[in-house]
Amino acid sequence: MAKKKDIDFEPSNTKIKIGASDYIVRGFGYVLITLYSLACVFPFLIILGTSFTDETYIRTHGVQLIPVEFSTKGYDMVIGSGNIWKSYGLTIAMTLIGTTLGLLIIAMTGYALQRKDFPLRNVISFYIYFTSLFSAGLAPYYLLMAKTYKLLDNYLAVLLPLMMSPWLIILMKNFIKQIPHEITESGKIDGAGDMTVFIHLILPMIKPALATIGLFLALGYWNEWYQSSLFLTTKVAVKPLQYTLYEVVNKLDALRNSVAGQFVTLTDIPEQSVKMANAVLATGPIVLLYPFVQKYFIGGITVGAVKG
Amino acid sequence: MKKKLLAALLTVSMVIGLAACGSSGSSAGTGSAPESSGNDSGASANEAAAEIDTSEHVVINYLTTGDPPEAGTEKEANLNEMLGELNKILTEKCNAEIQIYYIPWTDYLSNYNLTLARMDGSVDLIGTASDWLDAWPNAKNGAFLELSEDMLKTYAPKTWESVPADHWDLCKYNGEIYLMPEDNFAQWTNHGWIYRLDWAKEAGLENGVHSWEDMSKYVLWVKENKKDLKYVWDSDGTEYAQMANGWIASHTDFVAIDGICSGALWGGTKSDLYKVTTPVMTETDSLVEYAKLMKEWSQAGIWPTDVLNNTSGSNRDEFRVGQVGVEQHHTQTWTDLCSATAQNTIYKDDPKAETGFFYFGEETKNVVALSITHGAMAVSAGSANPERALMVYDLIRNDKDCYMLFNYGIEGKSWEIDENGLRKTPDSYNPDTENINGMTNYWWGRNDDLEVKDATRNWDAIDKLYAEYDKIKIDYPYGQFVPEVDSIQAKIDNCNEQYTNYMKQISYGIYNGSAEDIVAEMQAALKSAGIDDVTAELQKQFDELYK
Amino acid sequence: MSKSKKTSSETGIRKRGILETIWRYRVLELMCLPAVLFFFMFSYMPMPGIYVAFVKYNYRKGIFGSKFIGLDNFKFLAESGKLFDLTKNTILYNLAFILLGNFLAILVAILLNEMRSKMFKKVSQTLMFLPYFISQVLVGLLVYSLLNYDTGFVNEILLALGKAKWQPYSNPSVWPVLIVLIHLWQQTGYNSVVYFAAICGIDAEIIEAAKVDGANAFQRIRYIILPSLKPTIVILLLFALGGIVRGNFGLFWNVIGSNSVLYPTTDIIETFVYRATMSDFNFSTASAVGFYQSLVGFVIVMLANLAVKKIDPDYSLF
Repeated sequence: MAKKKDIDFEPSNTKIKIGASDYIVRGFGYVLITLYSLACVFPFLIILGTSFTDETYIRTHGVQLIPVEFSTKGYDMVIGSGNIWKSYGLTIAMTLIGTTLGLLIIAMTGYALQRKDFPLRNVISFYIYFTSLFSAGLAPYYLLMAKTYKLLDNYLAVLLPLMMSPWLIILMKNFIKQIPHEITESGKIDGAGDMTVFIHLILPMIKPALATIGLFLALGYWNEWYQSSLFLTTKVAVKPLQYTLYEVVNKLDALRNSVAGQFVTLTDIPEQSVKMANAVLATGPIVLLYPFVQKYFIGGITVGAVKG
Repeated sequence: MKKKLLAALLTVSMVIGLAACGSSGSSAGTGSAPESSGNDSGASANEAAAEIDTSEHVVINYLTTGDPPEAGTEKEANLNEMLGELNKILTEKCNAEIQIYYIPWTDYLSNYNLTLARMDGSVDLIGTASDWLDAWPNAKNGAFLELSEDMLKTYAPKTWESVPADHWDLCKYNGEIYLMPEDNFAQWTNHGWIYRLDWAKEAGLENGVHSWEDMSKYVLWVKENKKDLKYVWDSDGTEYAQMANGWIASHTDFVAIDGICSGALWGGTKSDLYKVTTPVMTETDSLVEYAKLMKEWSQAGIWPTDVLNNTSGSNRDEFRVGQVGVEQHHTQTWTDLCSATAQNTIYKDDPKAETGFFYFGEETKNVVALSITHGAMAVSAGSANPERALMVYDLIRNDKDCYMLFNYGIEGKSWEIDENGLRKTPDSYNPDTENINGMTNYWWGRNDDLEVKDATRNWDAIDKLYAEYDKIKIDYPYGQFVPEVDSIQAKIDNCNEQYTNYMKQISYGIYNGSAEDIVAEMQAALKSAGIDDVTAELQKQFDELYK
Repeated sequence: MSKSKKTSSETGIRKRGILETIWRYRVLELMCLPAVLFFFMFSYMPMPGIYVAFVKYNYRKGIFGSKFIGLDNFKFLAESGKLFDLTKNTILYNLAFILLGNFLAILVAILLNEMRSKMFKKVSQTLMFLPYFISQVLVGLLVYSLLNYDTGFVNEILLALGKAKWQPYSNPSVWPVLIVLIHLWQQTGYNSVVYFAAICGIDAEIIEAAKVDGANAFQRIRYIILPSLKPTIVILLLFALGGIVRGNFGLFWNVIGSNSVLYPTTDIIETFVYRATMSDFNFSTASAVGFYQSLVGFVIVMLANLAVKKIDPDYSLF
């Protein structure tokens, strides 16, 4: 359906006269977005450059855009143990499972909550939203997870809490709200139940919403280090990717700013090039996710598509 | 209806939440049962140690701060090989084995406390410290088991004997022993300036640096004459407190009380130990002088201009390779930097290179030995096997074989004895993977009776300094003082906050206006943060304890 | 439909009405059930534990067995004399983040939508995501490498141009601007996705029709795109308001760190609490501060939601 839309979209575009205003907006757009993109990529190139620079050179000359004294020692150190590949595997698995499950639940909830005839919609919306305002703080949450639920050293402690958030549910609800209520009603007239309407009529129409929220969920899983730092003790051999990065990059800083820093001397201080190499590796394939997701943004929710 | 439903849901969650927390709380209570275990051991105390029931094999988890070796690496394999050997001995002697439970450095304070708060028996032995690892707050909040004399006599007899009674007194809170101190290990963590002695001589300081005036001459000379250095001191902006403490130590006979806050705000004086003073409020002239001197250093460019945000360097490593001329840290670090180890390439590059140490308080002979609870072992109140934990600790602290394994690794593999009876590393030794000491992080019961001196250290220089310390040092006088700070904690935190904020600017000479103004401003801020109330309260508690 | 429901509850057969309604919407209720359970387990279950903010927490006695000490845990924040300034800083920064952040995100999304080159869109949007992946520690390091007085890039350039050096790290007044810029740099790419998706959700035929009617680009943006983004903007704002007294600790801590010279303009609640409790770690203080932040956020959101409901009930959160 989206394909068909694409096809008749392009030619119709050429039929219409492009006015001066379009050129102004586009010209402004190209300039601004190019500048911003450069500002985004530049620091990343510095990280990349430094990650390939010799440590002694970094020490005297600071971070580098182009490695003057080339070295892959940073990468050798990170990859050396081979554990990084297991971390990749774990993170990818968690991202896939968590995003799929989360997306399904969020979409179902979002659909139910936007139904104007659903009497509980405000209660449940508030019930969900309220949790974004109040939290008990670290200790109660930690004790509940670790002792009552016994999730210590269990990957579920990382997988579950990231599966949904009030923000994503309400966002989904808002997206689905744009679909006219008539679609649900037409489905019902045909004798379909709510679940059937949701799966066969609604889901195919909210691809941009699923793509957006799926992207956010996936990024959440990919960047996760906090739950891991709380619940995965050193008994767990394979940790999520970003947690390892977080450890390497933060430990010196954490120690230096603490009382212990006055007494304790680290024997294996992570070098700048190692930190940078870690950052490069941890970003890795996820940057390629966006172009993949983007194709679902084209087409979008259209009443016309339904009518046709 | 909405409200009712919501209320109902909330109530249910409250009840379940309460029940969950309640039950966990009570199970922890019965599990640890400090009183009953005390009685048990009391009953068995007089019986021979041989009758201790060790029929069940148990695993003792030893909690330490630090990063574990990465799983699947050679480093981990080496650690496990050592633990295998050690556990054979432990199994034979007390039918137990030891496992290391690491708290990684990132967020260590929060994770350390969360782990203790769990009280689920997942840790048994807990490395702790009164000055940097919350030993007393955790003793107070119930994380540590009360160790009765009988228990110690029965299960950790060697430790009990080797620690003198007055040292046990320093490990008590409310009359109960909570900590087993590292009290027989010579280490000096008093701070000072580490500098290049050969350069100091070039600068005309024939005998090296022995005062702040000498130091000033040294740094300014190095700045002028060693142009190819990165900086004289590539400081990262965190040494402000030690510098300030150092200045005070070098100009007064102030002795700070440990563990109240990160700044050494409160203490006594050597001439009147139990009168609480606050040099930051009383030593105005001296502080103004200090502020002026630091401004001079700052303007001369001794350290980076934006020193407080400089996290890009690593001064100690730069010192090792001769890129800087100063390091500010403690004696223990100097013992490393002054020795011609593989890492310290300055000695290879320049045969004349020498590293000196100007310790804070040298001018006034004001040196205080480390508190014996700077490193200590505690037993978790949640431990299912506190008796066996004590037995294991007794062995790794006092049994020669266990001690060597746990501290140095397997003899012949990770270390060996050289012709002088010193400890050296075999030729095959790889410092990245075989540094057992850097993996067990055993800082809670090292023992000089069993220590073997490291052959790579520059013992001539070190022994000379230690002998000098021994002549002038006083023991840490406030070991028994565990202040009750509940009522004044808010004021302490706020004083500390004000102090550190101003001291960063003063110590790095980056304040605006005159030295007199900034010191006066700091004192006013401390006054309004309630420093006098804290002083008065501490004095009251001092009087109760020492009079 | 809603009208008939109202009358049925008014006529007094409420009980049967409710049960009937619950049964009638059983499928929708079941669809919500996983989420309801989820928030019950991970958000409501720990909530009673907020009691820890009012006790002197003893690990052995547990949170609910510990001694109740009332508001003592809130004391240090109140006594610091900085509560007002810290709250003010936190709120002002967040306001700047929310307002400018959403403005830029919308601008970027609209401009992207006008682009015709698919390649350009893909590449630029991918690049815009990069800052989001850079850990805050490295952000701090990069900012220092850029701005420091002795060797920073900016100063090298100024020097090469024969200009005087700039010393931002000892000048508190420039940091509000810098911090906001850093935040925008890091978040705009990410935030624009929501708006971009929302624009994609607009019925293409409406835009087509507008074009045929001769609407120029500005008119299309003003009369079609912006109005259709309104619901998204409103919920984004309502969510952001709930956290308006919660600061972005990672950003401030890593960029400003321990530079007390800059605190007058850059200290937020989180950084202050972190420093103050560094040597006196306890869970109760942290929970107390969190509770204070929640309460203020709650009040603000309730008022905002009420206002939104008055103006257009469709847009309100609940």
